Amino acid sequence: MSTTIEIRNLNQYYGKKQALRDINLTIENGMFGLLGRNGAGKTTLMKVIATLLPRSEGEVTVCGRSTLRAQEVRRIVGYLPQDFSMYPNMTVYEAMDYLGVLSGLSKAKRRQRIPRLLERVNLQDDRRKKVKALSGGMKRRLGIAQAILHNPKVLIVDEPTAGLDPEERVRFRNLLCEIAEDRIVILSTHIVGDIEATCEDIAVLDEGNVIYQGTVSDLIAMAEGKVYSAEISKRELELLKKDYLVTSMLTLGNNVMARFLAEERPFASAKLCEAGVEDAYMYLMHAERGEYGC
Amino acid sequence: MLGQLFVRECRQTARSLIFWLIVLILIFDFTTQLGEMEIGEEPQPGQESYGYRQSKDPDIIMRSTLGQLTEEYVRENYTTYPIGFYKSVTLNEKDDARIGEILEETAGIAGRESAKQIIEEWYAARNEPGLAGELLKIEPADGLTYEQFTDLMDEADKILGGGSNYGKEYREKNAQVPKTYEEAVKEYDALLEKDRLTGGYARLFCDYMVIFLGILPVFLAVTRGLRDRRSMMQELIYTRKCSSLTVIVSRYLAMIVMLTLPVLILSLNPLLKCMSYAGKAGIAADMLAFVKYTFGWLLPTIMVVSALGMLLTELTDTAAAVLVQGAWWFIAVFSGADSLRGGMYGWSLTPRHNTELNWQGFHDGFAQLAANRLLYTAAALLLVVLTVFIYSQKRKGRLHIRGKILADRKNKS
Repeated sequence: MSTTIEIRNLNQYYGKKQALRDINLTIENGMFGLLGRNGAGKTTLMKVIATLLPRSEGEVTVCGRSTLRAQEVRRIVGYLPQDFSMYPNMTVYEAMDYLGVLSGLSKAKRRQRIPRLLERVNLQDDRRKKVKALSGGMKRRLGIAQAILHNPKVLIVDEPTAGLDPEERVRFRNLLCEIAEDRIVILSTHIVGDIEATCEDIAVLDEGNVIYQGTVSDLIAMAEGKVYSAEISKRELELLKKDYLVTSMLTLGNNVMARFLAEERPFASAKLCEAGVEDAYMYLMHAERGEYGC
Repeated sequence: MLGQLFVRECRQTARSLIFWLIVLILIFDFTTQLGEMEIGEEPQPGQESYGYRQSKDPDIIMRSTLGQLTEEYVRENYTTYPIGFYKSVTLNEKDDARIGEILEETAGIAGRESAKQIIEEWYAARNEPGLAGELLKIEPADGLTYEQFTDLMDEADKILGGGSNYGKEYREKNAQVPKTYEEAVKEYDALLEKDRLTGGYARLFCDYMVIFLGILPVFLAVTRGLRDRRSMMQELIYTRKCSSLTVIVSRYLAMIVMLTLPVLILSLNPLLKCMSYAGKAGIAADMLAFVKYTFGWLLPTIMVVSALGMLLTELTDTAAAVLVQGAWWFIAVFSGADSLRGGMYGWSLTPRHNTELNWQGFHDGFAQLAANRLLYTAAALLLVVLTVFIYSQKRKGRLHIRGKILADRKNKS
């Protein structure tokens, strides 16, 4: 039995609008990051894999099962949507139990798995709490627990860290990495830091196209030798912004320490820096469009 | 899986505010209509009144109908029920003159003044003992045949736009005559022997309950249908292994059971009263009558209203079902207002039988009532099947009508 997700020539339309353009991807065990700005088509792609959208053209198979056979795919896929909640009057345990029944788990299995999963997401002490009383972070953790309740081979999480505080975000990323040890976890986000901290394989989507697929290190390599920093005055910063893509700024009194992308050293005081994922992502997005100095 | 989901759905329903509001309304309905219910005593000779019955005697039909026509002609205002809805009709000069002519041809009453005088005399006479509650009856004109009468009444009905007291169906209902002692005893005996007491009261119970059950289930169906969207839980459920059939059927069954349960509990009160009376009077009452009538009479209404609510909510993701069901209920209740005493059940969503008596009417109309209830049961099952289909399409990302409506609105704005 295949353990990969195969996407071949996938095109997706909303009426006349094309949301995905000829997508070809192979996703293997472990964490897989889907990066792209809002509206790039990440959620559409995830919904097609999760059988929530019928594909318009092309082929999608999840561990050897075509998404046309939705019920078979649903047995092996766990999904955590971007915006979700649960019945507010249910307790944490009841919500898990309800979804467990919908997943076809026996009473014995639910009794065995639910406490274990709640412990894993650190909600064991909150199992009697009503869902409406949970914080955003707790809800996200509960979301993960429900998504892996039936021990799926594939876990799809859409923008899971949006709205979380830094501590919760780190905890959440670690949890995802643990879960990805024995399954495919697709993480969709527009937050580059999430990808940097969790994924080795990624795809970058822009306006429905895959503009990059490969490892994070290869993506970074694309920006090597193109990231510079320079301490300049605030007036010079305005001029710099016109010609180059400034990726970060740090105010130092009257001056600014600017980090920017350029094909070659633009002026003598500019220092070459080691590229990060964010630099590489910005480089990729703007190089694709032929903008600034890229 | 179905059983486990059903139990969880019942629990959810039991926690919903709307469910308890429905229960409160049913309790209110019951206590105001049947709370003080007393088991009717056997008619005694020499009673002031034994109630009224409808007569098929042409002479009585003519006299009663002409009485109605005289009254309304004097009032210059006519009550009609075209397609079952109340309507007050005032005629123009030409039509008013023609009604005057019809009254003269049928009753020999020439002009409004003469009619007015008859009405005043009748009002004065009504105050005399023994005439209280009597309806005005006017003797037909000499030589008027029943055929001539019906032709002219049909014409009057046409002038009034249909649904008046003079159309074929209504003029027969005008012919109310007092029951005799013997007739009252016969009807009472039927209550004890044929209905074993409980049957008659179970029908009366259903009559009151069916009015509210013709609308209330839709609120439960709509809130259940919208709960997933409001709780942002749709996608979590859609991606589960469970089939659409199991999801929808478990919800539907839970709704039906949770709505039927309070009705059955409320029926215990009249049942106990009946049993107590039956025990004293030595009648072998049917203990299961209320259960049988609840399932046979009320359940199809609960089923079809719930199913329609579910279907429209799944289809539109809005509360549109309340409006649709509200309109249907309004038509059903008002069009059924003219057959309150039972026996004429037609295809009404809310068949009425507002008396513990009239076993004969129930017996005569039973085939129609059974066909009616079977039709609604079948319709309910069909609606559930359609709901399953719509739900399964939505799970696959199709048929998101609400999303399309909102998108259209955004595009226009």
